[in-house]
Amino acid sequence: MLAELSQLMVETATAKGERNVSIPSLPMTENYETAKGFCITSGFWMMIATFMGLLGATELMAPDILENIGWLVFGRVRPVHVNLVLFGFVTPGLLAAAFYYMPRLLRTTLYSEKLGVVSVLVWNLTLVATVVTLSAGYTQGREYAEMIWPVDMMVVISFLLVFINLFLTLRTRKEPVLYVSVWYVFAAIVLTATTYSLGNVIWRPGSGALRGIPDAILLWFYGHNVFGLLLTPLALGVTYYVIPKAVNRPLYSHTLSLIGFWSLIVVYTHIGTHHLIQVPVPTWLKVIAIVDSIGMVIPVMVVLINIWYTAKGELGKIHADIGAKFVFAGTIMYFFVSIQGSMMALPQVQRVTHFNNWVVGHAHIGVLGFAGMISLGGLYYVLPRIAGKPLFSRFLADFQYWMVLIGVSGFTIVLTIAGLIQGNAWLNGETVYRVLPQIHLYYVIRASLGVMIFLSAVVGFYNIIRTLYFNPGESAS
Amino acid sequence: MRMTPLAIIVGSLLLLFTIVFMVVVTPWYTTRNQAPSEIFRHRETPEAQGRLIYIENGCVYCHTQSIRTIDWGIGAERIAQAGDYIADHPILLGSERTGPDLSQEGGEHPDDWHMAHFVNPRFTRPMSIMPAFKFLGTDKLRLLTSYVQSLGMKDADARVLRQLYWKEAATRAYEAGPVENVRWLHDHVPEGWRILPNPYPTTPAGLARGHKIYQDFCFGCHGPIGDGMGPAQPFIYPPPLNFTILKNTDISGGILYYQIMNGITGTAMPYFKKDLESEKIWDVGNYVAVYFINQTDADGEPKAIDAANEPMDMPGEESSDQPPVGPDLPE
Repeated sequence: MLAELSQLMVETATAKGERNVSIPSLPMTENYETAKGFCITSGFWMMIATFMGLLGATELMAPDILENIGWLVFGRVRPVHVNLVLFGFVTPGLLAAAFYYMPRLLRTTLYSEKLGVVSVLVWNLTLVATVVTLSAGYTQGREYAEMIWPVDMMVVISFLLVFINLFLTLRTRKEPVLYVSVWYVFAAIVLTATTYSLGNVIWRPGSGALRGIPDAILLWFYGHNVFGLLLTPLALGVTYYVIPKAVNRPLYSHTLSLIGFWSLIVVYTHIGTHHLIQVPVPTWLKVIAIVDSIGMVIPVMVVLINIWYTAKGELGKIHADIGAKFVFAGTIMYFFVSIQGSMMALPQVQRVTHFNNWVVGHAHIGVLGFAGMISLGGLYYVLPRIAGKPLFSRFLADFQYWMVLIGVSGFTIVLTIAGLIQGNAWLNGETVYRVLPQIHLYYVIRASLGVMIFLSAVVGFYNIIRTLYFNPGESAS
Repeated sequence: MRMTPLAIIVGSLLLLFTIVFMVVVTPWYTTRNQAPSEIFRHRETPEAQGRLIYIENGCVYCHTQSIRTIDWGIGAERIAQAGDYIADHPILLGSERTGPDLSQEGGEHPDDWHMAHFVNPRFTRPMSIMPAFKFLGTDKLRLLTSYVQSLGMKDADARVLRQLYWKEAATRAYEAGPVENVRWLHDHVPEGWRILPNPYPTTPAGLARGHKIYQDFCFGCHGPIGDGMGPAQPFIYPPPLNFTILKNTDISGGILYYQIMNGITGTAMPYFKKDLESEKIWDVGNYVAVYFINQTDADGEPKAIDAANEPMDMPGEESSDQPPVGPDLPE
């Protein structure tokens, strides 16, 4: 076992340290159309998704601003925002990086760029269908499982297309050892396609739901895992690729990679019911959820120790690469959001934090701070490499980095304050209505921070397009 | 451990299925035949249609239907039970309480209050941040109202019946003319409250507080000048009370306090005992008395011991029997 592990480390070290450091000369067949497609997808939908978020935030601050425009009512804007962030911005960004590093880690070319482009197109069609159906009020009404059955099918097909392409790429690999990023990508796609189908109750096309309490249990099993089995593994895949490459070092420990990978799948899948601690569901299930939520410290810290020790003493190199800088910031957010998440599963903490803006803050630090920043990091890391030219503007990328970092930190601070005000006021017997003016100020600040995030998305999209298509920079080859 | 494609794909799927069996299938098996709770009943057709409108417009993102042991607000009289939800498909527990929990909303207000509230929530609740739903049109708003009135099931039905019973009485009284209406309103206030003056003196600070409370809670129906012509007025019948007709009608601080605290079931006047503490109710009552009725009994007879924070000497007040600087101390 030990010998095998050290062999693994040496092999990966060789693969990473020597061959892949500089931008390699590419085989003629490899033009990264798929990775480019997912970069543009991510950049474009980040603008739309963050705009919808900004719109929702504005409506909470000024409820009559779009009075009686039905398809822009808050209850429709919110699911559009959430689903676009999830499937439009973060996931495609992480896939863009995956479609770049998977062939390299497997020492082969992508099975089919054509199939890849088709998957990008189907993916975008799915997102358009998502926006149209949810805005028109066609929804299953279940948080994170809103899309109606035909759109569910499109989502599953999109994942299957990506899976087929990457699996056939795997079949032609010349690299016998599978690097940890490869594990995460396959696990993410397979597990998400499965939990998505399960969570959306696709065997019941009419409602996409179960009945009564079992529906709540299934919904939160899925609702939690759509992050833990999609965003987390894809983001960790990118992290495991970008950080060792950026610091030009082998991974600190493959034992930790193994523990981190399997413990994530085992532990994360148990904890969905921590959303239902104050609901009449079986107590043993709540106990499992709480214990495993605390147990999440293991998969999280194992991965972070592995990554941080790999980067130890080399922060200068991380700072020098805008992609690695985003990814590294994302790992710090991962630390905060996970520790916070474990604490929030405790019933005593939930008395204050449940049902209010604290949770919204938690969601933003997780999806924008952790997965979103790593998604942007992966995107900016691969962008010059797939364009064959340097990034159009490092300044704009840095600008986006700071806008996102300040924005998401600000969100967390103001939403946490608002949540504490709400939670404590309610425990003190104040009505929901009476607390509204007390949190108004924080809604205003949140919307202002939303402007920063949205503008950074516009800047990012411009940077992506200029880098890929109108790039005055010298060709790197 | 050698990570082969088989180990990764099949291994992670096997783990997933095992865990799904444990944390989804097993609880499904044990909870799927949940017995109905004692308040459970099935929804009528319009209520079910209204529920679809509730889902379409994402009401679930701001309203929970999940009363917890630690709650105080609307519906907190009854903690949610698993048997309440057995017909819910999907279940609409919600995850955020930007607006109040609606588990027991049925019968809290009469239908006309809800119609005004849906057309623009600020008409009935000036500080609300709920979107306006006028765009749904009257028919859909009626369906939505019937769904909301069914929340709480059998408990809601009892409350709705009570609303209808008192609405009939309130309507008769209103249609009998202002004098009869005011008499009817006063008669339903318990005797002890009717003869009770507002025990606190009128002060600029108290009026300022009353003004703020009025703006935040009352003005949507009763209007900025207390004539009952607030923006909700066209939707509400019997219409909101015009306070100016209360002059010389034996109105007292106690009557105002009681009606604000308790509401007038059957009319759109809700109770405010959950929203407002005692001082706020006295203050807004006196604000209405001073500015709209133009007649206040604040600090009148019979008098009790002054509250510790009361001003000692009001400007313009005639000298009273009380010593100006407090009682003489024994030597």
